Amino acid sequence: MFDKILIANRGEIALRVLRACKELGIPTVAVHSTADADAMHVRLADESVCIGPPPAIDSYLNIPALLAACEITGADAVHPGYGFLAENARFAEILGEHNVHFIGPRPEHIRLMGDKVAAKRAAKDLGIPIVPGSDGNVGSDAEVERLARELGFPLLLKAAAGGGGRGMKLVRAADELPIALSTTRAEAKAAFGDDALYVERYLEKPRHIEVQILGDGKGHVIHLGERDCSLQRRHQKIWEEGPSPALNSAARDQICETAARAMRTIKYLGAGTIEFLYEDGKFSFIEMNTRIQVEHPVTEMITDIDLVAEQIRIAANGDLSLKQRDVKFHGHAIECRINAENPVSFRPSPGKIVHYHPPGGLGVRIDSAAYYGYTIPPYYDSLVGKLIVHGKTRDECLMRLHRALDEFVVDGIETTLPLFRALAREAEIIDGDYHIHWLEEFLARGAAEQ
Amino acid sequence: MVARSSGTPPKTPTIDRDAIRDLARLLDETGLTEIELQRDGVLIRVARNLTARTQPSPLPVATVVDAKTPSPIPVEPHPGLIVSPMVGTAYLGPSPGARPFVDVGSEVKAGETLMIIEAMKTMNQIPAPRPGTVIQILIEDGQPVEYSEPLMIIE
Repeated sequence: MFDKILIANRGEIALRVLRACKELGIPTVAVHSTADADAMHVRLADESVCIGPPPAIDSYLNIPALLAACEITGADAVHPGYGFLAENARFAEILGEHNVHFIGPRPEHIRLMGDKVAAKRAAKDLGIPIVPGSDGNVGSDAEVERLARELGFPLLLKAAAGGGGRGMKLVRAADELPIALSTTRAEAKAAFGDDALYVERYLEKPRHIEVQILGDGKGHVIHLGERDCSLQRRHQKIWEEGPSPALNSAARDQICETAARAMRTIKYLGAGTIEFLYEDGKFSFIEMNTRIQVEHPVTEMITDIDLVAEQIRIAANGDLSLKQRDVKFHGHAIECRINAENPVSFRPSPGKIVHYHPPGGLGVRIDSAAYYGYTIPPYYDSLVGKLIVHGKTRDECLMRLHRALDEFVVDGIETTLPLFRALAREAEIIDGDYHIHWLEEFLARGAAEQ
Repeated sequence: MVARSSGTPPKTPTIDRDAIRDLARLLDETGLTEIELQRDGVLIRVARNLTARTQPSPLPVATVVDAKTPSPIPVEPHPGLIVSPMVGTAYLGPSPGARPFVDVGSEVKAGETLMIIEAMKTMNQIPAPRPGTVIQILIEDGQPVEYSEPLMIIE
């Protein structure tokens, strides 16, 4: 086992990793920027090192500073959390060159899944279903028109160099295609300096379903079921649950086993998540995240498996002791991401928490680095904490969520708690009948009524 | 002479100048080099640096924090304070056993190397930002330092 783990992150995930380390009896090193000197992960760690000024580029993303912090503290492993350097293959390589273990996948897999086009090609080769579309970039407009006839409408034109929702155009019918092509090419050229496009079938009301994977790097891979993260705003998940209310056991077993089989083929190491869109009974690969995810507690609550502890064990021993038959699912879990934002405008609301009362009781879990008197700095993400509730059934889970949301008090800043209280009362949410555009439509209706 | 305060922050984070003056007077009278007084959760330490000029100068307390130590009281940094621009190991001389780059009392030119900080097997020279006299060296040779940790005072 490792002698000392340096946690290269901040906020609730730094605390989450620290908890796993403590339960495994491993000393911890917290790193922090000057803005986070009072942060809870710094207070609770065995040692701490200030690695830079507030901007993340000079502190939490500063690879030389993190390595120097390993050197001066004697840490022999680094857990990257999520975000920051968690999916930076170069960081994993540099740590390896300095004989420090990176608690995560091999650099080659981080790099493969970080490249959207290569990842999609790899997924297809591994037998993972993908969105029907052009196999890579399409050259001429004539080729696009030929593909469009094959695929049918609606279609999505995407700039090869785009991302994060930019450089995309929805085409509903054949007569819209010529104008859409020329404008998307012109926009792509202007925005990214590259007018290469690719074409995909557009899914109208898909759900976001993702499969949690653990692998030992030698071909032993298990899945820990799926999470449904269809409630999103601007591609940011805000509510996640497991099991998905939309899948039956046949569909669930099929997609989870497909994902695990693909990861066996590439001998995937560590924790990972394969994300899909799901519509009309069909799954389509979106991407793979080669790290622990924000919403991992949903899976932990329904399997009783500590995913971060498993990541550490796999990295230290090169071994995964769990077998697929050891994974038992029970009950239902929902996670809400409570952000320091205005619940209507979503304007960030950093500042001092003057009153803090987290909910408690059976089946309620709070993953948060906030505390009474804590000041949320303006430099980083707006996550205040995650409320995760578990129940024997989805109904029990929803009732418990209602109750826990009503108990939760965070004063002094604005939070998205009121949004979740409203969501928990919505009939379609209660019925589990929602898709990835549902939340934005709900918010637009709310804005129109005001 | 250095006055340092740490411990539980009082309601008003001001410096108890009278207490420091009293302790400084005691230091002169008794010929001691250091007095530490803890009262009402506030720790005051006055120490004499025999080679430095007498200059009461509040310093920020080192920022290594653990679960047991509460946050230090914010104090005005000395205007001549040099802080570490990086995490690493500080060396006062160019090689082990070699003469240090500077001593207390050394006159330095702007840009002159004050010390080396090793990070990732790279030796980073820390230059003097302005000309002056080294009045205090706040670290030991071979000491690990954090970002923004006080290293030296130059006047």
